[in-house]
Amino acid sequence: MNAPFFKFGLFGEEASLILALIIGVGFGFFLERAGFGSARKLVAQFYLTDLAVFKVMFTAILTAMLGVTLLGWTGVLDLSQVYLVPTYWAPQIVGGLVLGAGFVIGGYCPGTSMAAVATGRIDGMIYALGIGGGTLVFAGLFPWLKGLYLAGSAGPLTLPQLLHLPYGLVVFGVVIMAIGCFYAASLIEARFGAKGEGSPE
Amino acid sequence: MTIRDRWSRLSLNQELAAGALALGFLALFARPYRSDVVPLDVRELAALIEEEKDHVDVGDLAAWIVEGRSDYRLIDLRSEDEYAAYHIPTAENIVLSALPDAGLSPNEKIVLYSDGGIHAYQAWMLMRAKGFRTIYTMKGGLDEWKAAVLFPTMAENAPAAERARFERAAAMSRFFGGTPRTGGAGTATLQTPEMPKVEAPAGGAVLTKPKKKKKEGC
Repeated sequence: MNAPFFKFGLFGEEASLILALIIGVGFGFFLERAGFGSARKLVAQFYLTDLAVFKVMFTAILTAMLGVTLLGWTGVLDLSQVYLVPTYWAPQIVGGLVLGAGFVIGGYCPGTSMAAVATGRIDGMIYALGIGGGTLVFAGLFPWLKGLYLAGSAGPLTLPQLLHLPYGLVVFGVVIMAIGCFYAASLIEARFGAKGEGSPE
Repeated sequence: MTIRDRWSRLSLNQELAAGALALGFLALFARPYRSDVVPLDVRELAALIEEEKDHVDVGDLAAWIVEGRSDYRLIDLRSEDEYAAYHIPTAENIVLSALPDAGLSPNEKIVLYSDGGIHAYQAWMLMRAKGFRTIYTMKGGLDEWKAAVLFPTMAENAPAAERARFERAAAMSRFFGGTPRTGGAGTATLQTPEMPKVEAPAGGAVLTKPKKKKKEGC
């Protein structure tokens, strides 16, 4: 067993920052190459004409989930050492709705807006300024928002714990759900999608 | 896109779906979590102790508290009475016997302390045996905290360099409600000052209990 690498001391804080940079650049590169630096491509999923974003993200989740499960099973990865973001029901639901609304209105999510900035898109830059401004407003209002910020604390929570189901069964269920969703997405695209190749840019 | 292209693209998707399905089926039998007890690599532990990577210095910990860092959990292993009388700001009280079942998570950075340090070192070994890797003791325990942080001392005829160092230590001491001391004939003749009141660091910047928020994650 030798992963997570950072927890097992294979590299220190400085090396982890360099790795973060490399991984981040790779992430941004592939976001851009997938067309996700364009707000048109991203909002196409809300018009049901192009569900590439949904499919790419769900594929990434599926790949990561299966990889982590199998690496944990074979003993390469120690899952108990992996950091879990604690669950706070209220702020995470509210935050999810705010992020979704911002996604629909602005055409980007935080990650893709950075890819858009890197490719020189003005709407992406304005969106990024909005993220910075919103962060400042949140910091200023924090004394009033603190109650919400800490509401519904459930600690680090996983689906198997929440549903009282075996880990493997949840993994298998998510795979089935994903395949069903991909099939549904292809039907939706066939029904609403633009005829011909690629995004409507 | 011709029908043939579309068909071949679909076929790849179906291949991927079949692969995911197969791996998902395999996952039904997976037991990805380790058991509670792990084998100890005694050579690794010995090297770790020799390199002094098993503890944090009181000065470093004091700086973390002043900065308001919240990426660690500080655990006071002493009795509830002792904890009530005085504890380091931000510390939580978990008595040694309750530590294995206290619900601490191996993905947290945990700093343990006791009066002299022996109990903390023993607890450190217990937690290593439970698979905790980011666990540390506070070097010298609460005794060292009192000597170095709360009640730093300096001889009256100290040289300038030491005087400057003492000034910094004194500022830190006052932040934590301690009493920096200067004396002529060393520390032996000095009376031990009163312990600061609990939860009353002079700076006021420190919360009584930090949020368990870490810099990890996204």
